[in-house]
Amino acid sequence: MSAGIIAAPRAAQPPRGLALAFAFAAALLLVFIVLPLANLYASQSGAALARVAAMAEVRSAIGLSLAAALATTACAALLAIPLAYLLARSAFPGKPVVEAIVDLPLAVPHTVVGIALLFVFGRTGIVGAPLEQWTGIKFWGTAAGIVVAMLYVSVPYAVNAARVGLEGVDDRLEKVARTLGAGRWAVFFRITLPLASRGILTGLALTFARSVSEFGAVIVLTYYPMTAPVKIYDLFLQSGLGDSSAMAALFLAITLSLFIASRYLFRERREPGPTPAR
Amino acid sequence: MTRYAHARRRIFPFCALALVLAGMPPAAAAPTATLTIFAAGTLAAPFRAIDDAFMREHPEVKIEAQFGGSVKMVKQVTELHRQADVVAVADYSVIPKYFFGRNGGKAYSDWYAGFATNAVTFVYTPRSRFADRIGAKNWYQLLSQPGVEIGRSNPDTDPSGYQTVQMLSLAERYYREPGLAERILANAPKTNMRDTETELIAALQSGQIDYLAIYRSDARQHKFRYLELPPQIDLGDAKYSGFYSQGVAHTANGTLTGKPIVYAVTIPFDAPQREWAVKYVQFLLGPKGRAVIEAKGFGAPARAMASDAAKMPAELRSMVVPWPKSP
Amino acid sequence: MTAHRLAVERLSLRVGAFALSGITFTVAAGEVLVILGPSGAGKTLLLETIAGFNRPDGGRISIDGEDVTAAPPEARRIGFMVQDYALFPHLTVAQNVAFGRRFGAASADAGTVEALLERLGVKHLADREPKHLSGGEKQRVALARALAASSRLLLFDEPLAALDAHSRGQLRRDLKDFLRRASVPAVYVTHDQSEALALADTIAVMREGSLAQVGTPSAIFNTPADAAVAEFVGVETVIEGKVVAVADGVARIDVGGRFVHAAGILTPCVGASVLACIRPEDVALAASPQSRSSVRNQFPARVIATEPAGPLFKITLDCGFPLVAYVSKQSYLELDLANRGEAVASVKATAVHLIAR
Repeated sequence: MSAGIIAAPRAAQPPRGLALAFAFAAALLLVFIVLPLANLYASQSGAALARVAAMAEVRSAIGLSLAAALATTACAALLAIPLAYLLARSAFPGKPVVEAIVDLPLAVPHTVVGIALLFVFGRTGIVGAPLEQWTGIKFWGTAAGIVVAMLYVSVPYAVNAARVGLEGVDDRLEKVARTLGAGRWAVFFRITLPLASRGILTGLALTFARSVSEFGAVIVLTYYPMTAPVKIYDLFLQSGLGDSSAMAALFLAITLSLFIASRYLFRERREPGPTPAR
Repeated sequence: MTRYAHARRRIFPFCALALVLAGMPPAAAAPTATLTIFAAGTLAAPFRAIDDAFMREHPEVKIEAQFGGSVKMVKQVTELHRQADVVAVADYSVIPKYFFGRNGGKAYSDWYAGFATNAVTFVYTPRSRFADRIGAKNWYQLLSQPGVEIGRSNPDTDPSGYQTVQMLSLAERYYREPGLAERILANAPKTNMRDTETELIAALQSGQIDYLAIYRSDARQHKFRYLELPPQIDLGDAKYSGFYSQGVAHTANGTLTGKPIVYAVTIPFDAPQREWAVKYVQFLLGPKGRAVIEAKGFGAPARAMASDAAKMPAELRSMVVPWPKSP
Repeated sequence: MTAHRLAVERLSLRVGAFALSGITFTVAAGEVLVILGPSGAGKTLLLETIAGFNRPDGGRISIDGEDVTAAPPEARRIGFMVQDYALFPHLTVAQNVAFGRRFGAASADAGTVEALLERLGVKHLADREPKHLSGGEKQRVALARALAASSRLLLFDEPLAALDAHSRGQLRRDLKDFLRRASVPAVYVTHDQSEALALADTIAVMREGSLAQVGTPSAIFNTPADAAVAEFVGVETVIEGKVVAVADGVARIDVGGRFVHAAGILTPCVGASVLACIRPEDVALAASPQSRSSVRNQFPARVIATEPAGPLFKITLDCGFPLVAYVSKQSYLELDLANRGEAVASVKATAVHLIAR
């Protein structure tokens, strides 16, 4: 019996009015996001951008932001994935409490986050004091402090996205892998993680995005060395709107390219495949 | 009709009515004017009290006050083109520098009146290093010890920052200790600086820093322990302004010489509520205003000092005296 | 090749309000045990316990005499076939099979990945991704994967449930062929009776956590242990026979000396072993043979028992093979089956349902 070419069925089109209304709302939202930034760009002169790009402090601030955000993302990956796995796979008493705790950083005002972290990681803090004494690591005025602040505010994104990715992995695949002889660790690294990678990477991309833009919490712990948002603010105070918006435009150009690149890298691949033979 | 439909008919208009009532302002004396005030962060406490008192006396006015670094507040007007009715700064010289249209820029105002004074000091907690033995006689020696963490605000962006540096250079002269300023400032590196010193209060309370350079008014308001520095160096008394001018701070905005700390107020040309602004400043410069200012730890001279009385609104001219000339 | 063997003794497990109790059976190499039961009977739970995902409260599981009751799944060397076969979607066919090889116990029996792909006829699919495979291809890859892992036992949890009837039939045949030649025992779980009949050497009827009856298919269907089992299997007449002739779409089946004619869409080959299934509703009774009738099957029968069943009567007959008929009350009275000892039973050839063994 020959199967012939089976075309994929066309998805039923939603009613015309609904599609138009949704398209309109979507356009409105996209314009809402793009317009202020496009305006920011349009008001820059090439000269202002060049001048700002030439400042060593500006470049090092942007570099510091990107490096710290990258370090934060790496830490988030290490810490968030295990928790996300537990939330995705196991039921335990108090699970809703844990889920609420994961979301807590989203609700805390950023300055409060900074002050709270200072009390724990500062010179006399319960974590900071012994750490400084034994290892010399400081969180006040250092890149480590920047990373701690960034990590705190972006952890919810990492955990929740990773959890969704992990939940999407059929646990029967894990069971079958076990019966084929793979132990729990092998199953995790060879089956679960690769299959959850899209969700996890999306979470990490969000973590990076959230980290790179954090200001209020970072500035309480570390003013110098300055991250990009802090430097933009400093430029505003010192030289006014011209320089600070030029730097903002420059910084946004870099981060926007990174986000677009990551979305392309992690997109769902729809490849046409051969039709199955009967 | 079903019970559900019945209930819906009743509840819906009730909710609508409730929403309308909630949105309506109180019937008695709805404010008709909004007064916008930009003021230095350190003026937050006295101004909030003054605003409350003013609004009680004049219920038709609603005051919206914003507080922040003096330069930042001023730049809201000059850079962000926000409109303010009253602008008050911690360093009187900030007003002529940004508002008077020097160097061909736009002019936003042409007068200012100094209505309160303050002094620079250091605050500390019982946990701070040397807290048990520091005093007016030995503070400068203890603060220059290595290992003492001192916080201050950024001299490039905040008056208290450069005023602290000026005070330290005056201390160097006063105590005849060359290099004193440098040694003390070594304990206050960039990592201990913030945009405004009040942002470092959490750091002081957490023990991250031992001493914080701050205004005496803030020290009194927060009930912190503070050092009594000699009036010759703490920028708190206008009669020493001659000596003060020997203190310098090198900042990104140029080299700034010491001046007594005088808080000044002005009314920009384009104030939307000009009449109310004048009434407010009258209140501020009058006995009620001064009482609040003193209660909050500032110095309040009997008569405010005017840069140019002739340029001020008529109602205010009788309340001021000319600015004392520096000897 | 080593012949493997599974033995389960008095397995019990309690999960919340549900409990498996007293599960006992053995399966030898090349044999297929079908666990047949309705949903909620505990079939998947039992299978997963044998695979090692649940620790039983009591009892023993041994493979080749080795007690694996406490062993983790990865140490048991069991192939686990679930619905749609659970091929790893992020790996190619070759990588899927190699997965078993990498982690499974090394064994000379298994051979290389290539050899296994060849043996199961999927070598040409080595670089394909699972999502582009048909149901039959997936089945073969999954089997290759299990063999690569040197599985000593194959467990099937309704792997064909998602397929259409035609593909299901085809794959069942392929699977039966494969299992017959394999040296591993297989436990196959299903709720579908025809699937059970097609695949099983032994059927275990499972109900509410315990095995109600274990036996050959005809034993289960013809002599159900209790009313509940009988009800579940539908009281069909199921008789074993061999196809002796096929002509014009009609197969002639030798059932213990008598000949039953079956006509249907699929005609078996001469010499094939089949199970003939006859629903009681399709059996008509008469006092004497009908001379001109389209019915191909007419059997003189002795009436063994009569029993009311709701609005109908259930008549048990002996035609040389056991036959059950339902008749209406009216017919029952007209034919006076209460007293009559003999009748002629007729069944249309089209009503005889054949299952290939």
